[in-house]
Amino acid sequence: MSETAFPINDLLRRKLQTGLTIGSLTLCVALTVYLLLFGENIGFKISQVAEGKLTAGFSMVFSQFILFIGLLIVVTGAVIVSFMVFVMMSQRAKDIGLMRASGCPNDLIFGYFMTELLIVTFASCFLGVIFGTLANYASIRLFNSLGFQILQKPINFWLVLFVFVLFFVLTIIFGVKPILDVTKIEPAKAISPTYHFGLSKEPGFKVISKSSFTFKIALRSLFRRKSATIRIILCLATVFTLITVAIAGGIIADQTTKSWVEKAVGRDIILIAHQDMCNQYKSLLSRFHEAGESSQFNYTEEEYLVSENLLNKLNAMSDIHIDVRLVIEAHVKEIPGVIIDPETATTSSVGDKREGESLIVGVEPENVLGEWFIEGEFLETNREREVMIGDSLAQKMFSKPLNQSILFRGINFDVAGVCLDPINNGNVTYTSLKVLQDAIDVSKPNIVMVRVDSANRAEILNQIEKTVEDVKLDSDFMVFELNEVLDANLSFLGHLWSIIMFLPLFSLIAASLCLIGYVVLAIAEQRRELGVLRALGIKPKTVTKIVSEQSFIILLSSFGAGVPIGIILTLLILVPEPIITSYTVLEIAGWLLIGLLVMFVSSLYPTIKFARKPILEIMNQP
Amino acid sequence: MNMNKTVVSTSSLCKTYQIGDVNIEALKDINFKVEKGEFVAISGPSGAGKTTLLNIIGAIDKPTTGKIIVFKQDLTIENEDSLADFRCNNVGFVFQSYNLVSTLTVAENIAFPMEWARKPDDHIKNRVRELLKTVNLEHRTEHFPSQLSGGEQQRVAFARALANDPPLLLVDEPTGNLDTKTGLKIAQLLQKSKDANKTIIVATHDERIIQIADKKLYLEDGKLVNLDE
Repeated sequence: MSETAFPINDLLRRKLQTGLTIGSLTLCVALTVYLLLFGENIGFKISQVAEGKLTAGFSMVFSQFILFIGLLIVVTGAVIVSFMVFVMMSQRAKDIGLMRASGCPNDLIFGYFMTELLIVTFASCFLGVIFGTLANYASIRLFNSLGFQILQKPINFWLVLFVFVLFFVLTIIFGVKPILDVTKIEPAKAISPTYHFGLSKEPGFKVISKSSFTFKIALRSLFRRKSATIRIILCLATVFTLITVAIAGGIIADQTTKSWVEKAVGRDIILIAHQDMCNQYKSLLSRFHEAGESSQFNYTEEEYLVSENLLNKLNAMSDIHIDVRLVIEAHVKEIPGVIIDPETATTSSVGDKREGESLIVGVEPENVLGEWFIEGEFLETNREREVMIGDSLAQKMFSKPLNQSILFRGINFDVAGVCLDPINNGNVTYTSLKVLQDAIDVSKPNIVMVRVDSANRAEILNQIEKTVEDVKLDSDFMVFELNEVLDANLSFLGHLWSIIMFLPLFSLIAASLCLIGYVVLAIAEQRRELGVLRALGIKPKTVTKIVSEQSFIILLSSFGAGVPIGIILTLLILVPEPIITSYTVLEIAGWLLIGLLVMFVSSLYPTIKFARKPILEIMNQP
Repeated sequence: MNMNKTVVSTSSLCKTYQIGDVNIEALKDINFKVEKGEFVAISGPSGAGKTTLLNIIGAIDKPTTGKIIVFKQDLTIENEDSLADFRCNNVGFVFQSYNLVSTLTVAENIAFPMEWARKPDDHIKNRVRELLKTVNLEHRTEHFPSQLSGGEQQRVAFARALANDPPLLLVDEPTGNLDTKTGLKIAQLLQKSKDANKTIIVATHDERIIQIADKKLYLEDGKLVNLDE
């Protein structure tokens, strides 16, 4: 027999098992290639896709997520590879024993099975990079069709080659040990019908004596094949951690970031301003989801300012809350700060003298309608020389913003807080309206934001429109509902998070294939006994029950280990101050249970197929 | 002959296996009857079809052609679930290679056919104790099959086959893998079952067992010969 004929024939003879191994390894490679290629465009440097869009704080949350999921996917890939190679070799233990018993030298046996391993590894890695690359093309086309402008960069050949080599080497490393272990087993032991590679012979101890026989058989079988059981639980627990981080983390982060945006902009807020000013404000808010160039705009032009007449009329109305603002753009400068070490009482300087442009928004702190996610504090009326800056400005121009000051229009302001705000993509400085008016010598605001506090919103809105209409005679003022821009921002966030939710789908499929591989192994090991049980009068559905109980116990154990780790990682590391409602919990639980169910149902396939076989075929197959 | 007493009846029973392109006739035109309480010994060389015949009688296998009626049930037309019920309630099978469930203890191996038959817990407990006493294995109750000798495993297999008190006992080469002394114990167990008026069909080469049989059949190349005639 030639050195290649045997391995090829052997692989073809075990179609299901070869298919499962190649399928799961291909998925692992494809997923990693896809993640890295797609990550080049949108993943690891998500701030690039959203260049001029997402604020620095939001980008950081996304980047952390993608990086974390990327790491988990590589770890999952390695664990899956290790498990599938173990399963592959454990099913060859008898053949190897027979070959040794018939006098075949060990080095030739090693050569045969090493060739099999190389064929499987090469095929999986090759198919993996092809599918990963195609998935990357397909995703970019899909996202472009959804309205995101993502450039299709040329394929990074070296990156693809790196993944190919990484998985090839990993598979060979994980595969060589089981081959060597199997070739060391005594031939008599290897060919014994009661011996199975990777299983301890003795049941060891009686697990749960007060339970049904099907459960006893299932549970004790799991303990008996503990080596394989531990591997599959580890493998599936990693997958469940990954799925939890992606699903739970994705949903929580989606809701949390959406809530940050919604609170910062405000739901059902009405903007009253000059038509040009309205468009400019809309454009500033839209920079979160649409890259746009800053254009020169004179915010303090006389016709843009809100007249006292309009303000008085609005103030006279009941059931509304008014937030007047003066928005300008200004040149700002970083002022270094001083930090005192509490232990040594020594001082050190932080920061530089960086300069840049920022949107300056003057507000009445006691009347603001927005609610921000803030590190530090919001403005207070009695602390006029303080500002709150946006996260992008803080990251771009400051080292330790809360210990530093900002200078504009010749006035030095202490930074009291840093907020996440979509306006002008986080390049914003909030200050006291009065101080800003004094600094630029403008006595009026240029926008008015209104929240209707009455149940009869439509009527109040009509009154506001009528009031604005009355003063329109001398200026071009309009009423604009900000919900449209807010919804566009929220939809952008939703789309970005959906990318993350999409990633673990491949892992779920790969993990399902692993579980099927384990079930095939379990059936092979219990084949004769299950046949005997059938012969003694149990029905095919009871055989299905015994095997599926094993899959279920494995899935529950992995679920129990993986999901809490995923939730802890999400809540403690990935999402600061997460917003979790009862609906969030239900949604997460629903998705995770669907994942669990998909894996369980897929594991039933070999079980049902086996249970339908004639008894003698089950009992007599070697 | 009184048909009410007939437990097993076959007519023109044939079984053919296809291995690759070759058809192997394991059983050829088998016609015989077994009456209630009869002890039938089937002997013959290896590969003559003894195990195949027992498998067909026990509803583990189906004939290629012909008819097999056991306890008035035509086993060729029943579906798999009905056959499972039939096996559970009517047949006790002792396999040549014991085939105990390795993950269950001796007591559990004997108890589980009763659980499938939905017997009450108290009954199962008492019956297990009674059967362990019958096969002299009370001291091995909590041991696993891998901790028993071949003879002990065979006795557990006997106890398991008797668990649901089946009217028909099918025993395949019960002493084939055992030493003379242990083989004698098995022959004694068969004698006890015969005394309990069970219908027993044994495939065996063991003269001690053939001697206690009421009917002696001989299978050669798939054909049945009645040695008593």
